Amino acid sequence: MTTALVLTPGHGPDGSPVLRAVGEIDLDNAHELAAAIDRTPESDPPLTIDLSAVEYLDSAGLTVLFARADRIRLVTSRLLNPLLAVSGLARIVTVHNVDDPPDTCG
Amino acid sequence: MGQPEGVEYEPPAAAGADVFGGDHEVGRDLAAVDWAATALGAPAGWPQSLRTAVSILLSSRFPMWMAWGEDLTFFCNAAYRRVTLGRKYPWALGRRASEVWAEIWDDIGPRIGTVLATGRATWDEALLLFVERSGYPEESYHTFSYSPLRDDDGLVVGMLCVVSEETERVIGERRMATLRDLGSDPSAVRTEEETLAFATRRFAQNPYDLPFVLTYLAQPDGSARLAAATGLPAGHPAAPVLLPPGGPAGGWPSAYAARAESELVALDGHAFADLPTFGRPAAPTHALVVPLLRRGDVPAGFLVAALNRYRAPDESYRGFVELAAGHVAAGIAGARSYRAQQRRADELAELDRAKTAFFSNVSHEFRTPLTLIMGPLDELRTRLSDADPRTREELDVIHRNGLRLGRLVNTLLDFSRIEAGRMQASFEPVELAAATAELASVFRSAVDRAGLAFTMDCPPLADPVHIDRGMWEKIVLNLLSNALKFTFDGSIGVSVHREDDHAVVTITDTGTGVPATELPRLFERFHRIENARSRSDEGSGIGLALVHELVRAHGGTITARSREGEGTAFTIRLPFGTAHLPPDAVAPAPAAPTRPSTAADPYLEEALRRLPRTEAAAPAPSTDMPDGAASPGGRSAQPPARILVADDNADMREYLGRLLSDPGYRVRTVADGLTALAAIRADAPDLVVSDVMMPGLDGLQLVAALRADPRTAAVPVVLLSARAGQEASIEGLDAGADDYLVKPFTAAELLARVRTTIDMTRLRNRHMQWRTALVDSLQDGFFVCDEHGDVIEINAAFTAILGHGPENLPYRHPQPWWPERTTDPEAHRLVADALAELVGREHGSCTIPVTHRDGHQVWVAATFNRVQEPESGRRVVVGTVRDVTAERHAARRAAALASFGLRLAEAVSLPDALTAAMAELRRLWRAGTVLAVLFPSHGAPVLTSTDPDQDWDRLPAEQREAFTALRTHPALSPVTDRADGIGIVLEHPGGPLVLWIGRQEQRPFGEPDRLLLSQLAGRLTQGLVRAHQIDQQRETALTLQRAILGPSHLPEGFAVRYEPATRPLEVGGDWYDVVALPDGRTGIVVGDCVGRGLTAATVMGQLRSACRALLLQDTSPARVLAAMDRFAADIPGAMCTTVFCAVLDPADGSLTYSSAGHPPGILTHGDGTTVLLQDGRALPLAVRTGEDRPEARCTMPPRSTLLLYTDGLVERRRRPLSEGIDRAGAALREGRALPVDELAARVMADLASDGGYDDDVAILLHRHPAPLEVVFRAESGQLAPVRDRLRGWLNRCGLPTPTVQNVLVAAGEACANAIEHGHRDAPGARVRLYATVTAVELQLTVTDTGNWKIPGHRDDTDRGRGVALMNALMQKVTITPGSTGTTVDMQLRIVR
Repeated sequence: MTTALVLTPGHGPDGSPVLRAVGEIDLDNAHELAAAIDRTPESDPPLTIDLSAVEYLDSAGLTVLFARADRIRLVTSRLLNPLLAVSGLARIVTVHNVDDPPDTCG
Repeated sequence: MGQPEGVEYEPPAAAGADVFGGDHEVGRDLAAVDWAATALGAPAGWPQSLRTAVSILLSSRFPMWMAWGEDLTFFCNAAYRRVTLGRKYPWALGRRASEVWAEIWDDIGPRIGTVLATGRATWDEALLLFVERSGYPEESYHTFSYSPLRDDDGLVVGMLCVVSEETERVIGERRMATLRDLGSDPSAVRTEEETLAFATRRFAQNPYDLPFVLTYLAQPDGSARLAAATGLPAGHPAAPVLLPPGGPAGGWPSAYAARAESELVALDGHAFADLPTFGRPAAPTHALVVPLLRRGDVPAGFLVAALNRYRAPDESYRGFVELAAGHVAAGIAGARSYRAQQRRADELAELDRAKTAFFSNVSHEFRTPLTLIMGPLDELRTRLSDADPRTREELDVIHRNGLRLGRLVNTLLDFSRIEAGRMQASFEPVELAAATAELASVFRSAVDRAGLAFTMDCPPLADPVHIDRGMWEKIVLNLLSNALKFTFDGSIGVSVHREDDHAVVTITDTGTGVPATELPRLFERFHRIENARSRSDEGSGIGLALVHELVRAHGGTITARSREGEGTAFTIRLPFGTAHLPPDAVAPAPAAPTRPSTAADPYLEEALRRLPRTEAAAPAPSTDMPDGAASPGGRSAQPPARILVADDNADMREYLGRLLSDPGYRVRTVADGLTALAAIRADAPDLVVSDVMMPGLDGLQLVAALRADPRTAAVPVVLLSARAGQEASIEGLDAGADDYLVKPFTAAELLARVRTTIDMTRLRNRHMQWRTALVDSLQDGFFVCDEHGDVIEINAAFTAILGHGPENLPYRHPQPWWPERTTDPEAHRLVADALAELVGREHGSCTIPVTHRDGHQVWVAATFNRVQEPESGRRVVVGTVRDVTAERHAARRAAALASFGLRLAEAVSLPDALTAAMAELRRLWRAGTVLAVLFPSHGAPVLTSTDPDQDWDRLPAEQREAFTALRTHPALSPVTDRADGIGIVLEHPGGPLVLWIGRQEQRPFGEPDRLLLSQLAGRLTQGLVRAHQIDQQRETALTLQRAILGPSHLPEGFAVRYEPATRPLEVGGDWYDVVALPDGRTGIVVGDCVGRGLTAATVMGQLRSACRALLLQDTSPARVLAAMDRFAADIPGAMCTTVFCAVLDPADGSLTYSSAGHPPGILTHGDGTTVLLQDGRALPLAVRTGEDRPEARCTMPPRSTLLLYTDGLVERRRRPLSEGIDRAGAALREGRALPVDELAARVMADLASDGGYDDDVAILLHRHPAPLEVVFRAESGQLAPVRDRLRGWLNRCGLPTPTVQNVLVAAGEACANAIEHGHRDAPGARVRLYATVTAVELQLTVTDTGNWKIPGHRDDTDRGRGVALMNALMQKVTITPGSTGTTVDMQLRIVR
């Protein structure tokens, strides 16, 4: 049995690429996330990875994100916020929180 | 099959006989059985199940037997053979069980039948069975269980009996109880009858060992009388009331009393044909006849104790009966000695009374005033000799009556002497005819004057007759005086002649005579013949009585013949020789014949005065004194009295000397008080006559000085003074003078006073001598103690008992025999207590230890009376002491044995028994330390000590060697050759045991101590064996209990505790159970059966199984309990069992429960809120069946804890149950942060009282949710499902979502680490996640089999990043690498 993770590439309102992840990311499937990111061509504004529907993210997933920190933006939920803060990822990657009021979107 | 080298081993007798290899000896005998001839056939063909059963049987060291197959063929093991089978071995092997145990088959057959039919085990405790294993039907007790044996197909084909023989215990306890009761007589002293009644009641309580008991007491004539009986109705031919002297006449030979040994007697005579059976199948066949012996005493009788025919009359049985008889004998001896002592005390009191009566009535009341009447009267008569006739006549009347009164007083005096046995006679050989004629002739003139004829017929007798002259005078003169009084015409005659070996003296008259009706009372004291005509109305009615007594004192007789109006004849018959007289009163013939004394004068005078006055009687003033004594110097047999005269006036001194020398006194004169005192002290005279007014020491001071000195206190003093008046004389008498004369006094007056005083003194001295003789003849020690507590008199027996003689009298207080505080504080305290108790009492008694002059301790029973000394009026204490040391030792031994037995009986384990015994030994011998060293067959010696700090290694080497040497000494024989203590060796179940009693004080260790110690050691040996058996039985029982009281494996999240009550073998009926139900829920049960012991335990086992089975069928607690009602109704002893039954859903904590009279469950929430589960309650089980039971629901919130328990946890005597429940709730609340198992221990500890629990206690704890345990293969694909389960569990823990997420990530990292390492090193290895929660804390553990390399500073790798995450998200993370794997522990406090 593998962990359920659905990765859906797409585009944001500004036309930038968006990768939407739904499910859980752990050691078992972090490589799928890495592959999906790496499949997306580099762009400006950079790739947005929408993690707001991710219920679990572990250090394997974090490592994937850290390695690509310079070319991604993140959208997360309150569930993952503490993890991103604790790991320090939030300091080097732009993180947009879906639970925040819309006017802080940036 | 392995065979030990060098051990002899016989080859198996038959093929397949290797089945008997479990035991060498029994196995060999089993192998020798001709199995082919039995229903089982040859062993080679036995089914495996039988082979297994036999091999288990043989290898067990617990007594067992089994029966197998259609014939119930008998097998047993070595332990059973030894303990129970007796002579039936090896005959019994391979036989039908019904044949082996034919005599008890009625008892055990149905039990075995039940086992075979139902497959259910039986249980019997101490069942009485009459087995025939020693050649006779024997009363025996067995605790045993029959359990079914199944064959290879599971069918019940036999049964196994595990048995514990309890005969010795049951019977020993029964006998011990009787002996203890016999020794526990609470009243101090009782009569023989009470003693026997007490013992009889005790005997009656034990009809098994003493079916009937007869107590015969020996009578003086050699017969024996039935004094007490129990077990037989009155008048039963086996219990005749009187046994004639000599041979057996339909009863018991009365001569048994004279034997020293007990004797076994068969009850086969005609008298025993109809004996009762005493609740047993048949009547007793033998009796033990035991003499009632006391050491140093003749047997008081004997005791017949019928014996239990179902017990061998072995040494122990006989010993028991003899001990019981010993109790009776001791009781009788005690009662008798008490009675004898009582009698002696009465005698002393009587003596005292007679003495007091004598002195107060006679001397003071009569003699003194009489002297004071007669003295002045003489003066008056001389002075008024020529006064008018009327005056003289009146003076004569006074004088005559004074004389009469004096004679009366003297007669009374004689009587009191005779009565008190004080009449000191001196019988000398006399020619009786001449002596009597001489006396009679004195009366001739008076008879003549009365106009009567006086005939004397007194030819000399060939042989002398022994008489006391003084007494004989009184006899003859009284009779003559009497004759003269009642004879008005005719004659008076005196004759003496011989008749055979008697001298016969007859005095006849022709007087008025005595009516025939009065004749028999003639010699009665104070009996007067009314209306008899006589010369005078005077008459006390005492003269003839005195004559009668005096004749009797001579060993003679006096008779009277009389006819009214014709006259009277008195005939005295005296034997010749001296055989009839007390040897010490016989005196040799006087050197010269003596003249009749002046004693006749008063009689004559009186007689003459009664006659018509034809001529003037010539009174003889100097002899007219009322005292009838002979010469002034006293009785003729005595030396003349010595008188010391003290007066400063030389003329007076000379006059007094002359005056007193004339009548024969030996007089010495001194001129002043001091000289007098010195002279008296140097050589005490018989009398002191002293002037009051003297220079230096005056008369009063002299008297005081004399009285103050014990040596001279008794010297009589007559004071002379010029001071007249009553006050002066009172002063003199007060000072202690015996008499007081006021100058001027007449010579006659002085002589009279002197004579009186001397006579009084001599009388008193004689009395004293007699008293001393009496006192010295007492078997008991006698003492007199003055008002200061000083002992002033003792007797010979007193000296014999205490070693202190009269030479050191007086013994000042405190006397040398009192135990000293420093050397013997215990005895000192006992004596002080006893004496304090007696202070201020008029009489009393006590038993106290005193110290003999040679230092050894003597126990004496002392009695005392406080009396007033008649002479001095002082309050003194007279008392007796009796040596009761031997009785004391015997009593102490009996008491020690009883209390020792009690302590041993109370002991609940082997060490307990030893410790109790040692404490008792220490108390008995007042020892410093008592040590016990056990020398086990393997290993170092084990030391037990009353001093808790000692152990073997710390003992001095010298002592260790001494103990080691002692161990080979013969058992039960005290070793006393060391100064510092006494040793004794005894058999301990673990090896030889050396007991050492260290001496604290130098008390002699005598023969009684030796005897007692070896008896105690014997008891201890038995006690230790018994305690050892109890230990083993308890272990068995506890193992059994633990095995059936609850599941051996509990699901996670539960904790249980069971604590048996502390008494031996008192296992209980408490249980708990946790049942996994098919629907995923969990059944929880805690129950409590009524009662204790294995009986309750077996009931509990059945209820537990039933409850479990019911829960598996129906998950409604109410319906389960309702079904239990019906089930319990069929099980004896199950009624009133309380049960708490609950069903828990682990998923949501919902709990359904019902309680059958059980205390409420306690639920404590994570925040400490505590609630009681007290709904759903109804009656205990089986109280009412067929009724629905209530059910309640509640939910266990996350992190809450549930406590179910039995009432032993919360029940305390005299405290409300709610208090205990509150305490349990508090313990639960305070411990809610602990893991559930630790919490269980904490609750048990918190609620235990000082001595543990009185009742057995079971508790069951559950915390919701139960810990989570997930074991998974080390593959990353496992992470998601593991996470799922963890998330669900964390939600059940009631944690907020961010916390859940943090824990999930941290746990996920730990698992991922484990998978990476596990995967790398050992593909497919297992990883374990374990999570628990308390009210306040979460704990996770991840364990793998890999070996981590903990990444250092490089935290950008995902593993390094994982550890950092764990540390950041949890409060405490510990990673413990090990050779077999790595463990990650993580903790998180739950904040609300």
